[in-house]
Amino acid sequence: MNNNETLAVNDLNFAYRERKVLQNINFSVGNGDICGLLGPNGSGKTTLLKCINGILGNGNNSIKVHGKSISSLQREEIAKLMAVVPQELHLVFSFTVLQVVVMGGGSRFGLTGTPKEKDYLEALEVLEELGVPHLASRIFNELSGGEKQIVLIAKALFQKPHILLLDEPISHLDFKKQYTIMELIKKITREKNLTTLITLHDPNIAGRYCNKLVMLKEGNIVYQGSREDVFHAKSLEAIYDIRVQIENTRKGGMYVLPAD
Amino acid sequence: MKKNINALIVVTIVLIIAAIVALIHGQYEIGLKDIWKIILLKFSGSSNEELSTPSLVLWSVRLPRVIMAILAGSALSVAGAVFQGIMRNPLVSPSILGVSSGASFGAAMAIFLSARTAFLVELSALFWGLLAVIIAYKIGNRGINSITTLVLAGVIVSAIFSAGLSFMMYQADPYEQLPAIVFWTMGGFNKILWANVFRAFIIISIGIIVIYVFRWRLNLLATGDEEAMSMGVNIKTARALYVTFATVIVAAATASCGTIGWVGLVVPHMSRMIVGPDHEILIPFSALLGGTFMLLMDTIVRNLPGGEIPISIITSFLGAPFLAYLLMRQNRQEWKM
Repeated sequence: MNNNETLAVNDLNFAYRERKVLQNINFSVGNGDICGLLGPNGSGKTTLLKCINGILGNGNNSIKVHGKSISSLQREEIAKLMAVVPQELHLVFSFTVLQVVVMGGGSRFGLTGTPKEKDYLEALEVLEELGVPHLASRIFNELSGGEKQIVLIAKALFQKPHILLLDEPISHLDFKKQYTIMELIKKITREKNLTTLITLHDPNIAGRYCNKLVMLKEGNIVYQGSREDVFHAKSLEAIYDIRVQIENTRKGGMYVLPAD
Repeated sequence: MKKNINALIVVTIVLIIAAIVALIHGQYEIGLKDIWKIILLKFSGSSNEELSTPSLVLWSVRLPRVIMAILAGSALSVAGAVFQGIMRNPLVSPSILGVSSGASFGAAMAIFLSARTAFLVELSALFWGLLAVIIAYKIGNRGINSITTLVLAGVIVSAIFSAGLSFMMYQADPYEQLPAIVFWTMGGFNKILWANVFRAFIIISIGIIVIYVFRWRLNLLATGDEEAMSMGVNIKTARALYVTFATVIVAAATASCGTIGWVGLVVPHMSRMIVGPDHEILIPFSALLGGTFMLLMDTIVRNLPGGEIPISIITSFLGAPFLAYLLMRQNRQEWKM
């Protein structure tokens, strides 16, 4: 087992009844990687994340974490390996932010366990680490989109995972917040040596923050590899079906825009 | 945290006061001092001529009734909190999966078939109440296994058993059976004996203890199925566990005192307004507040100047406007749809 393979997906196939959603998916991600999943709507990005998390298609041995298949694992054991940050979370009841973050520890407390004083303090520390301790006693539902996203990341971190799965975490956010959240994700991935998988819509964000890319189209991987290798006009044109050009900025950054 | 412990202490004290008030008042008034004396007498084993009537009223009539009201109120409220939590819908009542319709059908059938003892009626109500939920659960799990299919299955099963109940009421002997069925469907505590209390106590206390032990995990289920799974919950098993024990306690309460509406819907709401949505505190608080609420309602109905009326009338009469009030202030705090 090599350290560069925290998460390995081997020959994953998934279908909703007859409709094939994912076919022959093979890739691996290592510690410290931020792997971006790119592809148009309906290309299978979210389904792929759910398969990796074992929520869909459990029972085949295609997902391995540290070389061990997750299909033999209980939900609780999977939760100790990976945490999910959803696109958005709508709660029916008015839980406070601290209560929401503490829920992330559910897999550690045991079936009959309840969080103790020290767990609440620890959850508060996570909020402090992310710079939002002042949100702790606020009602989660009353937060802004960006604040909610930070709290969901805090909840995922409190789960103490090796792998972080983020499903379009910034699609609802304004221009500045998108970058704030992405910087945060970059920082925690580096500091905690996480393996981060993130589905994104904006290739510019992907090009800026992800060191690895997996590009999907109609359930197949069409390109994958390091950013340097696969982030080019040809690959983006192949998945999005639109002519693009990549401009280089004076500072060495790149940005993608539709070709004239 | 601290604040919530205090809320539990306060509601316990209120419950004890309510119980004392309930024991004193009624058609036959018993003095507070007499209650103390009667209890002392019972423990010393001696008897007192003067206190024989109040003693009889207290031990044989009032105490079992008070305990049963507390048990039923707790059971319905805890079950309501559980169902609202796992279905992520604050408008859900404990009878959402058909337990009340099933139990009413069962009780009516026993009466219709001339069951001789109250025990048989109770047993039939318990059996059919549980069966109704099992059927609803089977139907609900066949489809895409979502909360919506489960709720729809509950509606379907309720409709079938309600039709069965109507049929039996239509066919029943209008002088003997019909009034018994009608009275049973309205619910009440006026026929409660110690035997009922013991049976209900065993089932309800076991059910509530199990739910209490697993209470915190309801928070995870209340966030959503996939969310809960990613946080380490095996939702199929967890949901089955909560539904089973919540159903059993509602069935036990319904079997011994008929269907009593609104308590299981409204009390969890009130509890959330006071202690918030965290099930760690919500479950014990709902149990205590539910017991208090039901006991107060029962004490009111049996002390009404015109004579006793079925308790469902007053729980609906007070519960429905309370829900209207909650709906009107919905955009504030407790919950959002």
